[in-house]
Amino acid sequence: MERLTRLLAGVLRAAARWLPPGRREWAEAVRAEADQVPAGWPRLGWLAGGLWLAVREAEMMRKVVYWLGVVTVAATAAWAVRLSWQASSAAHPLVVTDRVRVLVGVAALAGLPWVGRRRGWFGPVGTSITARLVRVAGSVALCGLGMAVVRMDRDIGGGPHGATPFSLPREIVAVVLLGVALAALPVVRTRWPQVDSTTLWVFSGMTGAIVLAVVPLQALAIIYAGGILAVTSRRSPVATTSLAAGAMTGLAAGLAAALAVYGLNTPDDRYVPLILLSVFAITLLLGILAGAVASWLRSGTEDPDAIREARIRQGLLAGSMAGAVCGVVLTNFAAVAFFMMVLGPLLGAAGGALGGTVAAYHPRKPRPARSWAAGLFVRS
Amino acid sequence: MPRRTAFSAQTLSVLAALAARPSDWRHGYDLARETGLKSGTLYPILLRLADRELVEACWEEGEPAGRPRRHLYRLTSDGLPAATAALAAAPAPATRTARSGRPARPGRAAAPRRLAQEGP
Repeated sequence: MERLTRLLAGVLRAAARWLPPGRREWAEAVRAEADQVPAGWPRLGWLAGGLWLAVREAEMMRKVVYWLGVVTVAATAAWAVRLSWQASSAAHPLVVTDRVRVLVGVAALAGLPWVGRRRGWFGPVGTSITARLVRVAGSVALCGLGMAVVRMDRDIGGGPHGATPFSLPREIVAVVLLGVALAALPVVRTRWPQVDSTTLWVFSGMTGAIVLAVVPLQALAIIYAGGILAVTSRRSPVATTSLAAGAMTGLAAGLAAALAVYGLNTPDDRYVPLILLSVFAITLLLGILAGAVASWLRSGTEDPDAIREARIRQGLLAGSMAGAVCGVVLTNFAAVAFFMMVLGPLLGAAGGALGGTVAAYHPRKPRPARSWAAGLFVRS
Repeated sequence: MPRRTAFSAQTLSVLAALAARPSDWRHGYDLARETGLKSGTLYPILLRLADRELVEACWEEGEPAGRPRRHLYRLTSDGLPAATAALAAAPAPATRTARSGRPARPGRAAAPRRLAQEGP
């Protein structure tokens, strides 16, 4: 016990050095008082409290979680690349296509945060733990998507577009087109502010649709990587509560849809229409739920019309996110269902708008909000 | 309607302990014994109160024999009226603590009310 106490005191002394100058003396104060505390468990508990203080004030948990997230995403991405290089026949066009798909996805995950390292659409990450978790989990799921496609092509010899031979010019043109679609909005808005924003969105949408038709998986990987970074960035229009509602319901929808696919799948594909109907229904229903929850959780002090509008918007965003998460999760389990990465957000948006609108017109009874920051303040 | 920020039950107990002897410098373990709070709760509260300039802190002067110098705390000139007002406005002693839902320890929740009634 004495040895453990000495060890904890040493750890606290070392941890105090990590604190900013104004905070260091507080950790040292805990250590200085430890001798007054009765030896044994009480003293050990006292020092542990000091260590907790140091961890909180140095924001160590946030740093540790951040670096764990970075390492997890990097490891998964490396695994996906390795898997694509381990495919049976390097000369086969499918293998080359898969390698390009995986490399494009990994490049998007690595490159977009670099683009958004300053305040912008893609970064920096929001301050909430929800935003960080969604960013890490989304990136890992995107790497998992690459692995699912590689595995499918390796196992059955054909993917969603596996029959199409690899074409380097097509890949390059598609990626350039996608870059144009993404860059058009900010560039035109800056240089020609008089251009109507609807025209811009239509132009970007059309370009995106062309790219999607040419190289669906690569385009989806980039769009999803950008989407994950955008919704979890500090400037995101998606509220933290909507982010949590969208992620949780989307995960549930994806798992339920995967269960439906595996449960109803037969060798002769007899139940394919039923499977599709189940997947669509699950996505729509959980999109409605996500929209309603996000709408109910949106609080504010604006006038009733403004708050209603904000609630419907949050419902729409949460529903779209639930559909997108459902699409990614389902595609991780069954790569052949990659079309849900396009249909999922659309179905989710429809459901989210519906749920958000209903909830906006039937708000919850207000409850006193609480906060327990260090057990220091409560709000009423 | 703007939100009103009030103090938690734990903070009120620290304020009550400090306001009971406003001119005395108190050390952390002394406050911990009086309020029943653990060091991991007490020190963040003291730190935040110091950030708000409601509490001032300093190191003990001189080199006491046989023990390290202590960090000492007391209410500032702004902190005393703020503590008195907060304690006066505190809700009636609850049977459960705000955070954990566990039954409050004897004297822990009652202290702020008692002090509010008696004055500093």
